[in-house]
Amino acid sequence: MTLPGPGDVVRYVKESGLWRSLFRQPYPTTSRTRALAVMNNVFLHLHPVRVKKHAVRYTYTFCLGGISFFLFLMLTVTGVYLMFFYVPSVARAYQDIISIENAVAFGQLTRNMHRWAAHLMVLTVFLHMIRVFYHGAYKPPREFNWTIGVLLLFSTLWLSFTGYLLPWDQIAFWAITVGTNMATYAPFLSRESSFWLLGGITVDQGTLIRFYVMHVIAFPLIAAILMVVHFWRIRKDGGISGPV
Amino acid sequence: MTIEKRPNATADKTAPSQAPNVPVIERSPGPKLPGPPGVPGTERFRLLAYVKQESMVRVDKRPDETVLTWPHLLRPEFLMACLIAVLLIVASVFINAPLEDMAHPYVTPHVAKAPWYFLGLQEMLSYFNATVIGAFFPFVYFIGLALIAYVDRSPYKAVRDRKTAWVFFLCIMVGGVIVTLLGAFFRGPGWNWVWPWQGIYFTL
Amino acid sequence: MSQLPTYGEVHGPPIGEMTRRTFMRRLIGWGVGLLSLEFLAGTFAFTWPNVRGGLGGKVVLGSATDIVGASPDWATGQPYSYQKARIFLVNVPAGEALVDGKTDNVPDPKKNVLALYRKCPHLGCQIPQLCDKSHWFECLCHGSKYTILGEKRAGPAPRGMDRFPFTIENGIYVVDTGKLEDGPPIGTETFDKRTIDQMPHCAA
Repeated sequence: MTLPGPGDVVRYVKESGLWRSLFRQPYPTTSRTRALAVMNNVFLHLHPVRVKKHAVRYTYTFCLGGISFFLFLMLTVTGVYLMFFYVPSVARAYQDIISIENAVAFGQLTRNMHRWAAHLMVLTVFLHMIRVFYHGAYKPPREFNWTIGVLLLFSTLWLSFTGYLLPWDQIAFWAITVGTNMATYAPFLSRESSFWLLGGITVDQGTLIRFYVMHVIAFPLIAAILMVVHFWRIRKDGGISGPV
Repeated sequence: MTIEKRPNATADKTAPSQAPNVPVIERSPGPKLPGPPGVPGTERFRLLAYVKQESMVRVDKRPDETVLTWPHLLRPEFLMACLIAVLLIVASVFINAPLEDMAHPYVTPHVAKAPWYFLGLQEMLSYFNATVIGAFFPFVYFIGLALIAYVDRSPYKAVRDRKTAWVFFLCIMVGGVIVTLLGAFFRGPGWNWVWPWQGIYFTL
Repeated sequence: MSQLPTYGEVHGPPIGEMTRRTFMRRLIGWGVGLLSLEFLAGTFAFTWPNVRGGLGGKVVLGSATDIVGASPDWATGQPYSYQKARIFLVNVPAGEALVDGKTDNVPDPKKNVLALYRKCPHLGCQIPQLCDKSHWFECLCHGSKYTILGEKRAGPAPRGMDRFPFTIENGIYVVDTGKLEDGPPIGTETFDKRTIDQMPHCAA
């Protein structure tokens, strides 16, 4: 009696009912199966089966939209990790950041990644906007998608700004104080809008919990919905714009 | 590409040659049968839909202008994701996120700056009327950005055909970068002018 | 199969009147629209800050004797910083005497005091204690400068220091931090008419 080799095990797994319930087809190697793979997988289905040749050139898009989306995913993952150790309270927040940095395994790394990815995302979203403008890719039929993109830019800025307060250190506190005070220059309802924004008269516990909720759930959801529309409209408006 | 008449389904099945103006539609083999050997460009695909040229979805592509998403788009996407992930992890290993003393509402630091993307606005606040710059300008900026696509009705896409729009946009962007850099690196304690070699008063 | 009755020339609705179906459709449409508006208004109402105590309510400072007990300099013109209300309580006659350099024989303030909010009207920084060199309030963040009465003299601020109304009940100062009043506009010069050129800088 011979023992089954690794090839036999792989074959056995791939012929099992469980495997075939997960994957309807073998690893795609032909054009037909590759087309089917994109069509049948919900995540790959974000893309059309075929794309224009110029669209896959790095120098046309510089991957800026894709990088922004990837950074959003990274921020979601690292953000969820950080949430395990962070309590949005004036008394605890700063100590929690300290303990994330010093006591949590990979805590400092996770916080660093979250911070740098956030700054990078603001930058790539801006660059993406400039790239799209340069190619005139907002022209009909893509006008609406440009507007969605501007809303996404706003969401990105707001996500970054609300996250800026959470460490509750001197940088955070005074940056948010200075930043929100710009809103008080509105010609009308300035006091009210600042009061509503800050959850009080000055940056305090009310502001912290308010910014926390917007940062970890409200605006990620809004941004995700906007992204769904954004990506969907790229396809429905005829794929990525043509070369100049 | 435009097909005037939808072929009769039964006629198509029995005798496709009877309708010469209708392209031959090959039925896809069932999922159990192995597919034909994949020689790119020689396969025929199932006809999924007729799309007229004048419809919302612009079909201005011929088969030879496109490539398969798998692998031609997925590969660069994957590589770029790997590159960004590696860069981010390496940067995060070596550069720590800033953290200063715990927030003290009664002690304003000598340098209080907004996050970097608002520094341009803060810089301009020290030049111009506060209501105009602090409230009116950001409002107009965002509404204006959102409406660009509806305001600029010129059909041209190439930069050479829309120099005005491009110069205008570039001025706003470059101006934004300049005031942001001024606010970030040329302002020190008391928002007084400092040269970068005299000290950097900027945290990310 | 008999023909279904349809709107003919006879049974059709008179021109300009809506059918029942259109009416119902519009009713539902307007209803959903109204509900969405109510939801939006409700969201604002729900998220309206719920401030309890502290800043935003009435803050009791104590009598003039209490204040002098806590901060003896108050009698000779130094503003009294009361952090719970984030204010400088300025003893106006003594303050004016301090700026003029006549610290002896200071008149009693009685009701002549000012409750200046320490938040700079420019971008919200905490205004530090009166500068000894210039006898001005000099904001460290962006260099706004105010006289001891909170009138703006220099820097980017849009107006003088904001102030709270206060009452004196049986000699006890009570500041109402819920009602912030705007500071005097730029150009108000009731006292201390020195200009920035004549002044030594306080902030480094």
